Amino acid sequence: MDDCGPECQEALRELERFLDRELDDVVRTKVERHLSGCGTCTDRLEFRVHLKALIQTKCSERELPAGLEERVRRVLSTSEAGESG
Amino acid sequence: MAQTAQDDPALRERFERDVLPLLPSLYGAALRLTRNPADAEDLVQETYLRAYRGFAGFREGTNLKAWLYRILTNSFINTYRKKQREPQTVEGPDDADEWYLFDRLGSQSVEGSAEDEVLERIPDAAVKTALESLPENFRIPVLLADVEGFSYKEIAEIMETPIGTVMSRLHRGRKALERALWETAKERGLVDG
Repeated sequence: MDDCGPECQEALRELERFLDRELDDVVRTKVERHLSGCGTCTDRLEFRVHLKALIQTKCSERELPAGLEERVRRVLSTSEAGESG
Repeated sequence: MAQTAQDDPALRERFERDVLPLLPSLYGAALRLTRNPADAEDLVQETYLRAYRGFAGFREGTNLKAWLYRILTNSFINTYRKKQREPQTVEGPDDADEWYLFDRLGSQSVEGSAEDEVLERIPDAAVKTALESLPENFRIPVLLADVEGFSYKEIAEIMETPIGTVMSRLHRGRKALERALWETAKERGLVDG
């Protein structure tokens, strides 16, 4: 990164918001244009894209504990009896 | 007096149709917050009860998922912050270490995709533990952005903090998570420390 010019530094500064799709169109287009011609910045972006996807996949729960939905429904019903009015 | 879901059958039906299907993702988030299944179940139950009681105040057409996560986050902070004493600062790489994990993984091998492969080999449970090791101020924005896919604006609403605060905590939280993942990979012998 030390070898990067000001264009790279500018793109890298916006990379987190680029990754999170939080840039406005003007800045996003500018970053995209830089990325299309810069392998160094593209490698870094791809790393972060991959890391973000990996965190999402590995930190998600795929199964609910047995009985939790029933427990929640029961609480809602009890609340109906106790709280109505 | 305002209608509540309890005495309005249509409201109750809408609650069951729209809010109950969010239970799995809410439980996952609760587990990352409380760090144990028993507390996560209690937190989810409390969140649903509060949501149910307040559902009449939810404006249809606005962001239901963000609304529910705000209740989850508030319930967590009110109930568990007192229980779980923890440091509220994060020990992350300093500002010069913008590419902490990328640089370290990149020096491991000449293979172009090797960085990704090392990360894939870290077990799910270890990545969860790494996320859970972050103090809640940093864990919550990372969880909401990276696991739940909320926007900065939604996270700001959920956490009731300015958007600039969200961005800086998210940034620092991610850096701290990178450090934790690197330590985990080292402990498992996946990289040469």
